[in-house]
Amino acid sequence: MPTLGTRIADWLDEPVPLLRLEIVRIAAPLAVLGFMSSRLAHADEWIGDAGFRVPDLGGDWRQPLFIPALPAWLAWTLAGVMIASGLACAAGYRARPSAAIFAATLAFVALSDRLAAFTVSKMSPVVMLAVALGPAGSILGVDAWRRDRAAGANGAGPDGGKGLERPLAMQPIGSVRFLQVLPVVIYSASGIAKARGDWLHHPLVLWSHLHDSYQTPIAFALASALPGWSWTVFQAMVLAFEMLAPLWFGWSRTRPYALVFGLGMHAMIGLMFGPVVWFALLMMTLLVAGHTPERLVVKWSRPFAA
Amino acid sequence: MTRWFLGCLAAAYLAGVWLDGVGSTLPSSILPRSANYFLQVSALFPYAALASIDYRAEGWVCANGANGANGASGANDANGANGTDGKWEEIDTRPYFPIDADNKENRFQRVMHFYRDNRPTMHALEAYLIEAHGEGRADDGIPRDVPIAGVRFSSLRIPLPQPGEPLTRSERKPLSEYPESERQLFYHTRRSKLEARCAGQHDSPGDESD
Repeated sequence: MPTLGTRIADWLDEPVPLLRLEIVRIAAPLAVLGFMSSRLAHADEWIGDAGFRVPDLGGDWRQPLFIPALPAWLAWTLAGVMIASGLACAAGYRARPSAAIFAATLAFVALSDRLAAFTVSKMSPVVMLAVALGPAGSILGVDAWRRDRAAGANGAGPDGGKGLERPLAMQPIGSVRFLQVLPVVIYSASGIAKARGDWLHHPLVLWSHLHDSYQTPIAFALASALPGWSWTVFQAMVLAFEMLAPLWFGWSRTRPYALVFGLGMHAMIGLMFGPVVWFALLMMTLLVAGHTPERLVVKWSRPFAA
Repeated sequence: MTRWFLGCLAAAYLAGVWLDGVGSTLPSSILPRSANYFLQVSALFPYAALASIDYRAEGWVCANGANGANGASGANDANGANGTDGKWEEIDTRPYFPIDADNKENRFQRVMHFYRDNRPTMHALEAYLIEAHGEGRADDGIPRDVPIAGVRFSSLRIPLPQPGEPLTRSERKPLSEYPESERQLFYHTRRSKLEARCAGQHDSPGDESD
């Protein structure tokens, strides 16, 4: 009987569709740049010396690392590098180095300014690092197009030629496994945090978050139209989904339903909580890339890979 | 070798995210703060909101409308300036904190959320607002040619409606439209400092507000 370690190793070595990584490589930088856009428009105020900076608090728990304000020109340069590397990664132009540079800029701004840092700020460097460490850009985007063109010029055709072969559609990719597990871990921990908080004994936790400056017209319309008990039902559904996420996503029979529920949940979060839309899009990217049924992803991969 | 190293790193990260989310102090006890910070992504909305919270700033306008002399009109006995001639007027901080200006992801809202009990940060914020207003960087609700001698910061705790009650859209209203019962003052420039600044005296090194 295989040990747990063997089973994990087998799971990691199992070929997965390369397209899963490409979906993250294309969509995640766009969601992250969407989140960053309001900050990038004011880079000198955000990470530069034109705006307010929390002083060096010398080890205060709220300040993970003190980074002095950048001169305005350097703040704008960093913003430019972030935009260029993010777009290059999404376009598949030198995708892996672009993803690594993008990840580095994201990590810097997350540490530089705690005030404008949220979940997306902290997650995105890790997601982009995972993209950089995998074979990103090898079947879709500029890099793949240039390789196919070079193969054609060599007379090898897109499917042949030394060093110019199209990559296998299915291959073992640790980054994909990591990106599949990441949202499940986040849901599980989030569900337990909610259960340890108010979600098991306060029937209107969701309702209580509908009335502040995150409120969108859709949130207001739904809060006005739906009966109070419906928010308790939604709350219970979200809690059950998150707490039991390892089961829902681990069991192949429930995985498609978990995918649909997760996408629906994040769609509603994005529609109802204003700026949280970018976090919702990032999570939806991870769900679609990681948990869309294998047969569909394989089918979608056929035109692009060997 | 590299593969195993990266695998272990990934597993450690995932374990760290999970442990931090469920409330374990293990990650924070063994990792540097800057590394632990990147694990704090999963404990999302665990508690019910008790009120809709907003943070506001006011500036102390000297009685004659300019630093350098005291007048006798416009006295305002609100917290932080009893007996000092002049008045508190709301400063719209949004022009000085333009990122996500109209929601709680705004940096002014965040500095209040995290650091309202941290005096060095509040002093730095006071200096920043006085300087930004003094330089006339933006229209903040107080005329640009009227200097401010100090600030006070408050939180608004707006009660939440119950299901079934008539709802109103979340909106930003002037501070003066909220009842005192919904305001909580937590920082203000010391009265003696307001008087000194209104009299045209410069701060001495090491001076701090209350």
